[in-house]
Amino acid sequence: MSGACSQVVLAVDDSASMRQMVRYTLEGAGYKVVQAADGVEALEFARSSGADLVLTDVNMPRMDGITLVRELRALDAYKFTPMLVLTTESGQDTKQRGKQAGATGWIVKPFNPEQLLATIARVL
Amino acid sequence: MKGAAPFAAGEAANEPSVDIPGATAHWTPQQQMAHMLALCDAQVAAAVADADEAVAALIATFTHLGESTRELGAIAAGGASSQAQSIVRMCRQVAEMSNDMAQAVVAFQFYDKLSQRLGHVRYSLSTLAQFVCDESQAGERDQWRKLFTTLRRLYRTDEERRVFEETMARACGASCEALVSDAEEETAPAQRAAGADIELF
Repeated sequence: MSGACSQVVLAVDDSASMRQMVRYTLEGAGYKVVQAADGVEALEFARSSGADLVLTDVNMPRMDGITLVRELRALDAYKFTPMLVLTTESGQDTKQRGKQAGATGWIVKPFNPEQLLATIARVL
Repeated sequence: MKGAAPFAAGEAANEPSVDIPGATAHWTPQQQMAHMLALCDAQVAAAVADADEAVAALIATFTHLGESTRELGAIAAGGASSQAQSIVRMCRQVAEMSNDMAQAVVAFQFYDKLSQRLGHVRYSLSTLAQFVCDESQAGERDQWRKLFTTLRRLYRTDEERRVFEETMARACGASCEALVSDAEEETAPAQRAAGADIELF
């Protein structure tokens, strides 16, 4: 995936093992991965640096993923940035809240590496 | 803990109420407590069973990776009769190893789900402990219904919701048939393949 070389993915999850699996998968495809353990940490990074795509969990301490998406969409630099939600949540209500907040898509864990990469390539 | 929120009577007012086990005439707090403990037991058993499956997948993956590594070593040591044959065999081994790693990435994600599900059980038990200490709540059938409804809302995964509905159905018998059939329509099969649930808005 040569086009991925310069692209930065902000991976947000309070589970270290999930962040590691996401990083392993995306770095193997040439993406640069920046990790954050919750929405607050992700927002701090986003305000000072750029990301080409945000991949976030929903249930996290301090700031959940849906609030994060909403906060990011309010920033000029992230108005059109693809934001995918990667979560165990499969309920329609939560998914709808994510959509209304401005999420680009919804992926239910566990993710399949090949399908995650295909989805990211599709929205970037 | 993911998804946990303190229980308060009336909090789940917008949630469809859970039909708690036991006909009104035969209802007892002890019976409800037993059902709650059975639910926690079922949630732990289901979470551990899924984790066992993931660990078994990891063991199989690493065993196969070991075999592939040995095969690569044999090829490098000159086991193949020609260079072209060596390259073909090495490419096949590398492809198999790559496939193994993809399966390992899926299996490793069990820990995130397991810790979330066990966290919900811990929360259920601590909420139950507080609940039964308050005699004004523990003696009220309606408060038990609110408690079960609140705990159902806690569940984030299809698997948790399925265990909840099955346990409640077993406890309720025929009186909960409608509730269970509704839940089955909402719930995808627990054995959903990894990555099968992707939706772009």
